Amino acid sequence: MFINWALQEINLKIVYYGPGMSGKTTNLEYIHSKLDPSLKGELVSLKTKEDRTIFFDFMQIEVGRIKGKKPKFNLYTVPGQVYYASSRKVILNGVDGIVFVADSQPHRMEANIETLLDLEENLKQEGHSLDNFPWVIQYNKRDLPGVEPVEVLQKRLNFFNVPHFEAVAVRGDGVFDTLKAVINLVVRHVQDQL
Amino acid sequence: MVQTRKLKDGSRQVILNGKQYEAITKVLSELATKTKASAILFADMSGQLISQRGNTEDMNTTVLSALAASDFAATSEMAKLVGEEAKFKLLFHEGEKRNVYLSNVGDDFFLVVVFDVSVTLGLIRIYTKKAIEDLLAALEEEGEEGETTEKMIDDDFSSLLGDALDDNFK
Repeated sequence: MFINWALQEINLKIVYYGPGMSGKTTNLEYIHSKLDPSLKGELVSLKTKEDRTIFFDFMQIEVGRIKGKKPKFNLYTVPGQVYYASSRKVILNGVDGIVFVADSQPHRMEANIETLLDLEENLKQEGHSLDNFPWVIQYNKRDLPGVEPVEVLQKRLNFFNVPHFEAVAVRGDGVFDTLKAVINLVVRHVQDQL
Repeated sequence: MVQTRKLKDGSRQVILNGKQYEAITKVLSELATKTKASAILFADMSGQLISQRGNTEDMNTTVLSALAASDFAATSEMAKLVGEEAKFKLLFHEGEKRNVYLSNVGDDFFLVVVFDVSVTLGLIRIYTKKAIEDLLAALEEEGEEGETTEKMIDDDFSSLLGDALDDNFK
């Protein structure tokens, strides 16, 4: 979190984390496509030729002034593939809140778990822990046939009982609900720490 | 001292007071004049842009500072992997028309200088070195009374933010 008194700005960093192809970039693309131009910056995506995130996606959004202050949200995604583990670590520097985008398909459960453990490990190096940090889980791809029931996903992934959301990111279902929840959680968390 | 507070959960909160911001902006202006740089950015290591000077209208400087921070972070990891214990202190990218010079300012901040290829690197290095010393001094400026996070983020703010999110993010 970064506060600039002179400009009365509050800057928060939110990272979308999750295994490869779970829908992290799709979330940001949807948010970018729907927001009023006055509230969003450019969406920058560093991708491979195969259209996979190689380093990160980045976008800054805002909601205007609130009581004279300007909250700004820097949204990042991480690359999901296993071999980009070091890159994921660096994107977490200065993170204030996380959206874990899980792939609801049964064959991706192991990848979800592995990435969640990877996240816990990286957060520890930043001095945080999943049991005391603002984060939410998004169960994406709910529209696909044969996806795991939410109860199963909850049991296998949501050990800390954080807010969870069902989503179909390509259609935008659940995308803004997830974003609003994590922002509200981060702000409340900051207040609790004071 | 720039207020870098560790919150109860271990997270880092950086608060820049008015005096510091003014002092920082002054240093950047002087550097811009001396080096005739196209653009100068001062940012923190998480990618957050703090202040800028120069012809930045055509440049998305918010994105540039996010990318530059990642540049530092990536090369820092590379240094570890190749057995280099210290972090690389500066990064230089050479282009056809423009060069980019990145230098860290303490452990938490960095400076980006974008300059024309006609300007010598030596000149940039000399003036940037001085600017970094001035910036570190600027970060030591004491703030005004009452510039606290508690005043920035209160219950009212949270609730109004929630409303603004509902109105705009749908």
